[in-house]
Amino acid sequence: MSQTTTEERNAIQASVRSLMEDRNTEADVRRVMETAEGHDPAVWQQLVELGLTGLVIAPEFGGAGLGPVELELVMEETGAALLASPLLSSSVLAAGLLTAAGDAAVNKRLLSAIAAGKTIATVAMTGDAGTWTADGVAVSARADGDKWLLDGRANYVTHAQLADVLLVLARTPAGIRIFEVAAKAAGVTISPLPTFDRTLRLARIDFAGVAAMPVGTAGWPAAEAALQLVLVALAGEQAGGARRMFEKTVDYAKTRIQFGRAIGSFQAIKHMAADLLIEVESATSAARAAATALDAAGEGSNEPADAAIHLAAFACADAYTTVTATAVQMHGGIAFTWEHSAHLYLRRARAQAQLFGAPAYHRERFLTALGA
Amino acid sequence: MTTEISDDALRAEVRAWLKANYRPEELRGATLWSSTPETRAWLTKVLEAGWATPRWPAEWWGRSLPEHQARIVEREFAAVKAPGAGQDRGNLYANTAMAYGNDALKAHFVRGILTGEINMCLLYSEPGAGSDLAGIRTRAELKGDNYIVNGQKVWTSGAMTADYGMLIARTDWDAPKHGGISFFFLPMKQPGVEVRPLRQVTDESHFNEVFITDAVCPVDNRLGAEGAGWRVLQTALAYERSVMGDGARGPRNASAKVSLIDLARDAGKLNDPVLRQDLARVIAYRRLNDLNNARAKADLKEGTSSPIMSLGKLAMSRILHEEARLRTSMLGAASLLEGKDFPVSDDANFLSLNAYFTSIGGGTDQIQRNIIGERVLGLPKEPEVDRDVPFREVRAG
Repeated sequence: MSQTTTEERNAIQASVRSLMEDRNTEADVRRVMETAEGHDPAVWQQLVELGLTGLVIAPEFGGAGLGPVELELVMEETGAALLASPLLSSSVLAAGLLTAAGDAAVNKRLLSAIAAGKTIATVAMTGDAGTWTADGVAVSARADGDKWLLDGRANYVTHAQLADVLLVLARTPAGIRIFEVAAKAAGVTISPLPTFDRTLRLARIDFAGVAAMPVGTAGWPAAEAALQLVLVALAGEQAGGARRMFEKTVDYAKTRIQFGRAIGSFQAIKHMAADLLIEVESATSAARAAATALDAAGEGSNEPADAAIHLAAFACADAYTTVTATAVQMHGGIAFTWEHSAHLYLRRARAQAQLFGAPAYHRERFLTALGA
Repeated sequence: MTTEISDDALRAEVRAWLKANYRPEELRGATLWSSTPETRAWLTKVLEAGWATPRWPAEWWGRSLPEHQARIVEREFAAVKAPGAGQDRGNLYANTAMAYGNDALKAHFVRGILTGEINMCLLYSEPGAGSDLAGIRTRAELKGDNYIVNGQKVWTSGAMTADYGMLIARTDWDAPKHGGISFFFLPMKQPGVEVRPLRQVTDESHFNEVFITDAVCPVDNRLGAEGAGWRVLQTALAYERSVMGDGARGPRNASAKVSLIDLARDAGKLNDPVLRQDLARVIAYRRLNDLNNARAKADLKEGTSSPIMSLGKLAMSRILHEEARLRTSMLGAASLLEGKDFPVSDDANFLSLNAYFTSIGGGTDQIQRNIIGERVLGLPKEPEVDRDVPFREVRAG
């Protein structure tokens, strides 16, 4: 079980919230999302100082050694504030993959650098299929003497254009394995992609005979473990984002006057708000329950975390898209403008509903986990 | 104040008392709500031991325990499924009497209510006053020491066996609608009170209509001042809501214990990818509600109240309607049938109709959304055109 107390967890969450309020206002988000890097290196340094880049990395590699419960709370805050950052790619997905792969030598070097924020890593997991499943892996690895060479394509790779290190899932004759490649290695072509969610960075990566170093021997199972962690983090982002957009919308309904009344006094609006509150609360409950389940599974509980995680994955994705889409409608014309924040949340919600598996996929996995 | 006792000592005392006194077989399956000589004997024992009203002082059979210790008592009773403890939190009638009754009323009613000697029912809704409860038109007129009551009430369960009904009736037709209402304990066993069972949409009868013609109610049976009944009602409703939340009754047959997944498997549809999406969505509604409730409970333990509590009923009505819809759609043509020979169909059809028990009863979903919008989210109320108008000028229909 998580070794932090409620007070400590509240303190972690409060410190992230305060950082977001100081350094990641809506104006900051709009500025950063238009830059090529897509993140603010000064804020990255603040994340490092708060220990967030090493939050789930073991203390022996310089991390805080915390788990999914604390991670989820942190992500509620970054999600609420629309933080544009490689945090999820490097410190959750890549760190989670390396931890699960358990290659001591690689971890000593790479996890320490990731925890210190000196290295940004990401994971190339899916090809053009964009499924984030074993089927979707479209890079192959062939042995060439004592070296390995990668060929093929990875797509929808988060923050690849920022990364120093790529962790690549690739097919070998003996199954899928994990390989480490420097982003600048010969034969690697990283093509940044235009994203609907401007706070996100995605790239396509083509590999042409790229020399790569295998990481551990655990292949796809390690990827599944990393996906579990990233889905919990993403669920936290979605729950936090949904809540923030919902609060903004309720505030607006109290102050916007039409027909001589606050629009929130109309049942047409009030009833939408009541329904959205169920979505927001359910998303928070689902995300936190998934974090708790993964935490317990990490401690060797027999309770499978699968059902809780896939439930959170689709429930939070659906809640976030429903809340943000309905929020635009409840605001009316003002939210049809670029200047209003509603579209930033709607874009992020729509993007996060596709990353690491779409809701329909998670519903399938949820049923399978229930034995159906 | 009684002498203070440690949590552990209290827990041990309750446990020992239950061990020495509780014989579930003596209750023969009777519940707290079906009054039998055995349940009345048991409830009297609980009352006299101080467990029925642990928060109240000794003069009201209590022990003046603080809230957390009263909960300990309730938990010990719940652990062995013994009824009757903590009625100072859960008994709507006793609490309302204590909060608003005069000394004579309290002395006359409270003990009997707690021990099941006195059976009660609710006389609130009328055919013309459902969601708009303050629009009631049952009238009570003071004649000497009695009120004479005329009108019609509906959705009353337990009216057949009740000794008294908690009644709201209009005593002032010139005051605006909320201001002209008074609150009574109306004697039910009298010629002016006629109870008729109501045949429900499910073809069952759990509720009654109550026709009141020149019924007599002693003035001492009024709770609160004349015209202050709306406030008394709010207190009574709050007690009611605090112990509600079980939602609708379960199905008639055992078939609905079959999970949605098993039903899909039995219907040969578990491999249908479209059905599977629907199935996951519907199962999730219930799971998410369970998770919300668990989080609300944990929040309460840490001393912060949660808005989630007020969402439960609205969430439950979606769950029940959606589960019934999915059961029906998985059954297909078999849902044309009903009766004991077709229990799965019978349950699906019953649940489809009985879901309205939750989405209409105790405040429709639409009223719940108003309450959530206004009390939880702080959105302004709709203007009410009849609010400050003398009631006799208010439109009805």
